[in-house]
Amino acid sequence: MTKPINAIKSLDLQRSVIYFGFLGIFLFFAVILYDDGFLTSRNLTNIVLQTAPATIMAIGLVFALSAGEIDLSFGSIVAVSALSAAMAMQSGPMMLGVAAGLGAGILIGAFNGVLVAYLRLPSFLVTLATMGLFAGVARTMTDLRSISVLNDTFAGIFGSGKLFGVPSLVIWTIIAVVIGHITYRNTRFGAHVLAVGDNARAAQVSGIKVPRVRLMVLMLCGATAGLAGLLYAGRLQAAKYTLGESDLMTVIAAVIVGGTALNGGKGSIIGALLGSLMMGMLNNGLILMGLQVSDQMIVRGLIILLAVAISLRDVRR
Amino acid sequence: MTYMKSLLAASALIVLSTNVNAETIGPGGESATPSSQVVVSDDLVDTIRGMGLSAAFLWHAQADFTVAVTQGATDEFTRLGIEVVAETNANFDAATQRSDVETTMAKEPNIMLTLPLDPVTSAAAFAEARDAGVSITFLSNVPDGYVQGQDYAAIVTDDLFQMGKQAADALAAAMRETGTVGWIYHDAEFYVTNQRDNAFKTTIENNYPNMSIVSEQGISDPARAEDIANAMLLQNPDLGGVYVTWAGPAEGVLAALRANGNTTTKIVTLDLSEPIALDMVRGGNVVAIVGDEAYELGRAMAASAVLHLMDQEVPPFIVAPALTVTADNVIEGWKKSLNIDAPESLSSN
Repeated sequence: MTKPINAIKSLDLQRSVIYFGFLGIFLFFAVILYDDGFLTSRNLTNIVLQTAPATIMAIGLVFALSAGEIDLSFGSIVAVSALSAAMAMQSGPMMLGVAAGLGAGILIGAFNGVLVAYLRLPSFLVTLATMGLFAGVARTMTDLRSISVLNDTFAGIFGSGKLFGVPSLVIWTIIAVVIGHITYRNTRFGAHVLAVGDNARAAQVSGIKVPRVRLMVLMLCGATAGLAGLLYAGRLQAAKYTLGESDLMTVIAAVIVGGTALNGGKGSIIGALLGSLMMGMLNNGLILMGLQVSDQMIVRGLIILLAVAISLRDVRR
Repeated sequence: MTYMKSLLAASALIVLSTNVNAETIGPGGESATPSSQVVVSDDLVDTIRGMGLSAAFLWHAQADFTVAVTQGATDEFTRLGIEVVAETNANFDAATQRSDVETTMAKEPNIMLTLPLDPVTSAAAFAEARDAGVSITFLSNVPDGYVQGQDYAAIVTDDLFQMGKQAADALAAAMRETGTVGWIYHDAEFYVTNQRDNAFKTTIENNYPNMSIVSEQGISDPARAEDIANAMLLQNPDLGGVYVTWAGPAEGVLAALRANGNTTTKIVTLDLSEPIALDMVRGGNVVAIVGDEAYELGRAMAASAVLHLMDQEVPPFIVAPALTVTADNVIEGWKKSLNIDAPESLSSN
């Protein structure tokens, strides 16, 4: 008799809140907006499409936070990657654009990673600085101009295309989540990330190359931000220096609400996916409710505050 | 100069800015139609009321300006029995604007009033609404490749050239048409501010031979205005006047002048702001604020979208008048611009 009670007592509230929160918000909007298009397949698909770049960035951030690091620069990386891809495709083939976009993301991630892993500078400060640095680079790259993406194949694969009726952004989301989840849960690298985040010294003693893990997680953040940049460029069929600027707080909130610890050693890719979808669902539902913009901001802020407070309750204890 | 080139290359709308008779014109060279000429006549009201129409506002940001535009449009929609079903704010983010269009389309509005963030990124963003036959009126900007009458109802904007020109005229009057000027412009690709800033500069250069712009500083973050103004004053201690691209950064410039004990350098800026207006009515550095008739602009946006939906002739390019506000007319100017009473602090000073 005591076992079930203990099981309930030990229910990991931090991990569960995202499932209850996601379901609760979904049911709330489903009831309130039953006649307002919320439950239509087009609207639900829109939520997944709109959150695809944030979801993919969130996957990179789960790895970084789990290793005890953080990346604040991914919004700027998105802009640099999108612009790099768009500029490369103005005169070159699609693959050049993809390589330029992803390559820019990985290189900036490596730059962050070297400073953090080998010069032992705090990732918070390093990426705070590079956030500004690469936001400036993005502005300089095109003298503030937006660049059109005229390559229809690219726009299809990374933006508005479909495969067997499934939108390409949904496919990218599924691929990223599956690979991210398996890597995080079932590979040696994932275990090393968690070990470093849990106790870096113990990880070092047990033979894990801690600097290498730190470098890798920040490169992964750069790569996911680079992919997000490609998705934005495909979706808008254009790139602009402001892309990704507004994603920082959304992605961090999605990851924390999804059960990833701010201080390392614990995380969830599925939680991050649900966190990201929850953010998208909130934006979507509050607009469909017909609330004024100020009211939308207040309600969204309160719900995120509540979810984060519950998520972090265990950590504070 | 690359900045200027990029402005000219990127902007879909053009302001002729090289001669003294310049005016705001449309993308295809259309001449501007005053907003007062765009009216839904009373004999159409009953028909429109019976159609069960709905509308959505997809704004770029939230400010006094958008609140006044929204109010002007909402009042016109109320007169015509049109329900407003959604309102969004993209916070200047192109990806958010695209999402806002998709989300709003779930409500199937007949009318959309919006400011496209820039011609390039907005082309794909509004395609879904355009293809669904929504009557779209754009504020101040137009997506690349969109054809008036076919893809959208009209472009409604401020008389941007007049706003910049009237700011130059007001500063010149305060400086007795003599002296040095600092030009703090918006360092971003944004049609509205770019055109107003350039109109100010052109007017000073062409119309006032005894005035010269001795310092040019771009600003993208309003929070840095005070730093920029301090640097400008350090290099040009005898600066006669400063133009600031809009009221937010002008507050920082005013703070810098006060901190330096400078009571002689004049400020002129655009868009109404209480702290700036308060300095003006107290006889401080601020000599004029050039505003727009935002409420009227919103009304004209609503009217043009409805007329398009009713297959009526709609002028392609509509402008709402500019309004120079000084200490003498601040109370009336405030009401005329934003359709709200001026803050009490202004009437009690």
